[in-house]
Amino acid sequence: MANDLIQISVCSGTGCLDAGSLLVRTAFEDHVRSQGLEKTVAVNFGGCAGTCPQGPVVTVEPGGVLYHGVQPGDAAAIVGEHLKGGVLDRLRYEPPEEPSKIPSTGALPLYRHQVLRVLRNKGLIDPESMEEYIARDGYQGAAKALTQMTAEEVVATVKNSGLRGRGGAGFPTGLKWEFASKSVADQKYLLCNGDEGDPGAFMDRSVMEADPHSVVEGMIIGSRAIGATKGVIYVRAEYPLAVKRLQKAIDDATAAGLLGKNILGSGHDFELSIYLGAGAFVCGEETALMRSIEGKRGMPRPRPPFPAHKGLWDKPTVLNNVETYANVPPILLHGADWYRSLGTQKSAGTKVFALTGAIKNVGLVEVPMGIPLRTIIYEVGGGIGKKNKKFKAVQMGGPSGGCIPEHLLDTAVDFDSINATGAIMGSGGMVVMDEDNCMVSLAKFFLGFTADESCGKCPPCRVGTRVMLDLLTDITEGRGKPGDIETLIDICDDIKNTSLCGLGQTAPNPVLTTIRYFRDEYESHIHDKWCKTGICRDLASFEIDPEICTGCGVCARACPQEAIVGEKKKPHRIIQELCIQCRTCYDKCKFNSIQIKASRKLTGVAAAAEGGKH
Amino acid sequence: MSKLTAEDLVRLRDKARAAMDFEKQGYRGKVVMHTGTCGIAAGAEKVMAVLTAELKERNVTDLVVTTSGCAGICSREPLMTVQLKGQSPVKYTELTEAKVKSIVEEHLVGGQPVEKLAFVMGCEAAY
Amino acid sequence: MSDKPNILVVDDESIVIRSAELVLKGAGYEVEGANGGREAIAKMEQKSYGLVFTDLKMPEVDGITLIRWVRNARPDTGIVILTGYPSQDTIKEALSLGIIDYVPKPFTPAVLLDVTQRAVHWVLERRGAAGKGEEEKEDFPPSMAAELDKVIEFYRDKPGSLIPVLQRAQEMIGWLPVPALRRIAQGMNIPPAEVHSVTTFYSFFTMKPRGDHNVRVCLGTACYVKRAEEVMKTLEEGLGVEVGGVTPDRKFSLEEVRCLGACGLAPVVMVDSDTFAGIDPKAAMDVLKPYG
Ligand SMILES: Cc1cc2nc3c(=O)[nH]c(=O)nc-3n(C[C@H](O)[C@H](O)[C@H](O)COP(=O)(O)O)c2cc1C
Ligand code: FES
Repeated sequence: MANDLIQISVCSGTGCLDAGSLLVRTAFEDHVRSQGLEKTVAVNFGGCAGTCPQGPVVTVEPGGVLYHGVQPGDAAAIVGEHLKGGVLDRLRYEPPEEPSKIPSTGALPLYRHQVLRVLRNKGLIDPESMEEYIARDGYQGAAKALTQMTAEEVVATVKNSGLRGRGGAGFPTGLKWEFASKSVADQKYLLCNGDEGDPGAFMDRSVMEADPHSVVEGMIIGSRAIGATKGVIYVRAEYPLAVKRLQKAIDDATAAGLLGKNILGSGHDFELSIYLGAGAFVCGEETALMRSIEGKRGMPRPRPPFPAHKGLWDKPTVLNNVETYANVPPILLHGADWYRSLGTQKSAGTKVFALTGAIKNVGLVEVPMGIPLRTIIYEVGGGIGKKNKKFKAVQMGGPSGGCIPEHLLDTAVDFDSINATGAIMGSGGMVVMDEDNCMVSLAKFFLGFTADESCGKCPPCRVGTRVMLDLLTDITEGRGKPGDIETLIDICDDIKNTSLCGLGQTAPNPVLTTIRYFRDEYESHIHDKWCKTGICRDLASFEIDPEICTGCGVCARACPQEAIVGEKKKPHRIIQELCIQCRTCYDKCKFNSIQIKASRKLTGVAAAAEGGKH
Repeated sequence: MSKLTAEDLVRLRDKARAAMDFEKQGYRGKVVMHTGTCGIAAGAEKVMAVLTAELKERNVTDLVVTTSGCAGICSREPLMTVQLKGQSPVKYTELTEAKVKSIVEEHLVGGQPVEKLAFVMGCEAAY
Repeated sequence: MSDKPNILVVDDESIVIRSAELVLKGAGYEVEGANGGREAIAKMEQKSYGLVFTDLKMPEVDGITLIRWVRNARPDTGIVILTGYPSQDTIKEALSLGIIDYVPKPFTPAVLLDVTQRAVHWVLERRGAAGKGEEEKEDFPPSMAAELDKVIEFYRDKPGSLIPVLQRAQEMIGWLPVPALRRIAQGMNIPPAEVHSVTTFYSFFTMKPRGDHNVRVCLGTACYVKRAEEVMKTLEEGLGVEVGGVTPDRKFSLEEVRCLGACGLAPVVMVDSDTFAGIDPKAAMDVLKPYG
């Protein structure tokens, strides 16, 4: 009888966790198991109801009974009462008669789906205080790895956790560490990739700025696992605040003996320094990054040899992403099974996303892997930012990624499902687009980026991206020809198959996915000379729908060309000869009365019909 | 600081925990201003200056005022979190000088969260 | 003007002015003194000088203020600072304002003459080159050379440190002129071609001088989606330069960057180190108003 199921939710908010809710939950689980009550009582974590000072808080369904200040010893009594259909009055929390009008985090969709593991200290600690980091269990994972575990055990724990690299490709971190730990050398290096080249993503910056010690601790653990004694964090020079806070973290940790010689008396040595990147996207690629640290042009080189054997200065080297490292300390502390308790079979844990673009809640979110994209966009993200605009696509993976359209929004967010759409998980940038964004221009934007950033070593990448960029420019400026789409697809295949590094191999993705899902837009650009968003100025003309126009005059006042005429309270019209397609009227009109039509010039429609009457 | 051992680290944690607990330190509450890159770009430092000036003017000395990293809601920066003894933490968003003044008056001094300005109350799930 | 430009010595201690006069006049220079920043400005409004030697710490109008004024109103006048407090920060600030060199106080006649000769040389070269191409007109003040040498010295024996050296150099000079690259190549014992190739590879490095105010428009994805391209267009039209260019009066330079990490506030423009968020493409020029 499902109705009789008693559901016990222990609050997993940071306040309750600090008050000891983990132990409370374990006590409930133990009690249920020891009494053989698994079929009638379910124990799980629940969200915060906004009663933090009363923690640990426990909610029991049915009835929504709230308990506060629950201690592990209370588990049996609470379960016992509810089995009898009663309530344990001693701990019952009566909410105030007039509840606050402020929503609780558990009630707001923005927070309800999030679980903070990487961002566990988000907004709670002073990033420049090592003591505050330590207060929240900081460096306990490293202490365990260094003083209670062998290197093999550390590798095994990370391997079992199922953690996959957060820098884009999703390579299993434990496996990477295992390869490097087996290489024999007089010197090994452990590097951190804080280059964050994907324009429009800022997860790594936030982690480095808000919780720099979590990266340092993750690296200490990694260095122990592979036997590295030197480490480097490669950070973009454009992130001065991150650099400053990381440097402080390194200095403080070194002063405390958490870095340097004989860390925590374990005999393990690890020195850490920062290297400032000088702004080349390709330097995010691992072999290029290592060349760059050597002071050379950051050009990728073929693999093998893999960095795990021959990396920086030809020594065995491991490179992981910032977020990957930040995941490691709690894995050591709470164990591999804990980590796997969220996420999917093949993509364990949580992922941080930078939600930006035409979305309401722009910001940083952390959700369990496997939740549908739709949930992230419509619940966590709050949907499209502008009223009465429709969702068009979400771009994931930056210049290496692709666009996912509306009909695929039920895709689960995990490495493999996202790959199947033609996009990639990437480092976590999620740029949302509404119907005002032109997908051909977007493809052109990304290609412009890769063409600029191509290091020029492989001709298919260097030349191919240029040719594609020219083609796309032609299409957006009205010179598109039938057959262009096929040519684009052909070139994409060539670039994909013949480039040396990930930059070239993935450069076609934005073009391929937009063609795949928005082919009609390419076609209307090419055949009808019509960009229905009006972003491509040459492929648009603007008209006022007299049925909708109220004659409010806002557009006429805003028009820089004074091209809009009409009497007050009567439908206005646009004098086409004067219009420069700047789109101002379209943006200003509150009634959506401005229609975007095909280019008059290019399609030969006489402008005289409507414009010439004045 | 001298070199730590694993045992020292546990002791240090307990000490630091107590130090971070504003109640144990004899304070009435804690105000956290979120100052990541976007917070600063949105004017968090100016808001912080207004806040400290207001508190000074009213001679409020029983609150801890500190800064922390990005709170993750970049489009609503500048942001601050207020937690008073016996209350859940409350987040205020899109702060302006005027908003800070009423928050100081009603919440920090008056003790009542400003319902019409507050964005959310409570903690975030983290485990 | 003759090959010996006239010199104005500014200090609030008349003993300093007098001793400088003694040394410099002896070497055939035409020298005048001004007792503080205010008097200096008054004098320079009447007459032009080839070189100004100024103290930094002075009551009322201090050295940095004076330097700013000279840079604006008398851009052809070379500036040398006389200072008893060479704190790294003030020197750095003065360097960023384009001074030629500095003389530590108290100075010996030999040091003063040596610095003066170099400064004169520099001023004359600049003047001589003024008619020639844009590139050659910019030179590389000796004071920076000394600072740069210190950086090179520090990094010389560390493998892989070319990029950090270039970063420091650009931080000091504001950009990477060819003479600086040559000096780095020599000092680090790296072929000049390699230094050049590394410099051009990384977008962080610029071999063109920047304007007094550097305007950077973010063209990252988040900003792009919020129409940063139009912001850029407005600025290009408003300033009359293309991206990567500098306005003829050297006031503004215009650059693009890929993501400033403030995507939540897109579209974003940075002027020097101030961030402006949520720019309306049509009104982008308004952002520059406070910068003249
Ligand atoms: C062109 C290119 C750019 C990359 N940029 C980044 C980056 O900015 N940050 C990052 O962490 N990984 C980046 N990567 C991925 C790295 O090569 C590497 O796979 C990653 O840092 C490994 O860390 P992980 O296993 O923890 O993901 C890039 C790869 C390519 C091909
Ligand atoms: S894309 Fe412009 S700040 Fe990130």
